[in-house]
Amino acid sequence: MARRENTFWNRNKFKLNGLLLILPFYFLYQALQPSPSPDVWDDRQVGPFKVALQPLNHDVPYSHHDDWVKDFSVHLREGEVADIRQGYVNIGETAMPLHELEQDDEGILHGTDVLQHVHAIAPQFFEVQHQVWLTIQTWDGDIHQAYWSLPDEWLE
Amino acid sequence: MTQRQWFKLHGWCSLPIWILFCFICITGTIAVFSHELTWLFNENARAVNPENLPAKPIYELINIVESQFSTANVSMVLVLEPYLINAVIFSDENIPMGIAYVNQYTGEIQEVNQGITFISFMRSLHSWLLFPWQNGYSIGYYLVSAMSFVMIGALITGLVIYKKFWRAYTQPKIRVKQGKKSLLTDLHKHGGAWSIWFLILMSVTGLWYFTQQVLWHADIDIDEHPPLVQVADVPFGDRAQPPVSVEQALQIAEARFPDLRPSFVIMPEHNRDMFKIMGGGDFIFYDQSAYRLDINPWTGEIARTKSPGNMNSLQSIQHLVDPLHYGTIGGIWTKIIWFMFGLILSAMSITGFLIWGSRTMKASKAQRLAASQHMQNEGAH
Repeated sequence: MARRENTFWNRNKFKLNGLLLILPFYFLYQALQPSPSPDVWDDRQVGPFKVALQPLNHDVPYSHHDDWVKDFSVHLREGEVADIRQGYVNIGETAMPLHELEQDDEGILHGTDVLQHVHAIAPQFFEVQHQVWLTIQTWDGDIHQAYWSLPDEWLE
Repeated sequence: MTQRQWFKLHGWCSLPIWILFCFICITGTIAVFSHELTWLFNENARAVNPENLPAKPIYELINIVESQFSTANVSMVLVLEPYLINAVIFSDENIPMGIAYVNQYTGEIQEVNQGITFISFMRSLHSWLLFPWQNGYSIGYYLVSAMSFVMIGALITGLVIYKKFWRAYTQPKIRVKQGKKSLLTDLHKHGGAWSIWFLILMSVTGLWYFTQQVLWHADIDIDEHPPLVQVADVPFGDRAQPPVSVEQALQIAEARFPDLRPSFVIMPEHNRDMFKIMGGGDFIFYDQSAYRLDINPWTGEIARTKSPGNMNSLQSIQHLVDPLHYGTIGGIWTKIIWFMFGLILSAMSITGFLIWGSRTMKASKAQRLAASQHMQNEGAH
């Protein structure tokens, strides 16, 4: 059997994997110190509601099954969640028609009375003509819409 | 292959990652007792029941939380062990996400936790080493579950090296007085022989976790997408409220599966969402979410059921694996057995390394001795 040389590598090679265990502590620290959320966008009047969107991050859309989505918090400044029959957010050149949105729960407003969330239906890549569209239907069947332009940094 | 080659292969299966492997074994061993440790160290998590009262139904616990926090929105209720509180997860104007520890016997809210719980911390640390999740996968989850490959490799090569391993059962012998290396070797061999069943179980369940991660990563659903309330079921009108309460949804679920013991009750998150009720039943090898019912809050209709009787193979495996991996099949007694063998497995990675270490130390000492003798001889000439 070949003699193993008494080198630093031979003495420590099987201990190096222990260095990986620094990462869980780093990730724990990271989880306990979340980076500040992006700014809340300006309020928009959507029928009887005043609403502001807040993106969860500035990342590009992520893939969810066959769709691309981007997460937002939805702050209801005026009006109540209980007054919404259904609401959706999509990103694109136009608001998707409600009958299309209703086919699935992708892009639907959900959460609690305190804070609503949405996994907005998005294109894979943002383009300058894209906007963020909010569609809300009230209990009387009326449909209200508003849009926000994409931040410049998303288009870079 | 020669014995020496098998031996080398045995080393390559575990030595390069032994610290990581040992850490995963230790965290898993602790995770087995995460409920018991929570009970031990957190008085507020104990469901003390001196008057032997029956457990209150889940909807009452929700009412208790809603009555104490006027703007509370309950999103989920978790039923744990009978000796632990029920966890009512809610948000409130001043509490973005809180877990109310409700004593299910007395109805008292004993704590509102807004941070990490020991149970979820230990399980996350063991399962994915807290590596972040991104688009359905975590590198940590891959790392941990890939240990199943080296574990099965170490087991097979170990059995080839350790001829007549069954003697560890019939004539167990630990040489205590013949030096450190003999003691370590005997402990390692006997630990391995006695843990064969456990090594197989951990490897096979680990392989499933690896497979599950690949499926998640590839967006392949094990469970089909939850059903959605039809738009037509949501009536127009004056701020309609779903007529089916959580109490009724639970009654509907229990009427469908009389042996159902609800463990997770998830409230609808929007008007087209359903009550999602999961629980265990009389199938002892299945986990605490072997039953699942999606109940339409507008019609009371059961939109989908899943139970051990109608699962496909992948779904069955998914619900069989956790109790086998965590040793919860037979309650506290099987947990104790799993904990003991978890300790043995952790110790095996340490003894394995120490055996290798003493071997290389000995070789390097012999090399140094030979070199110094050679130099002395040169000097004498």
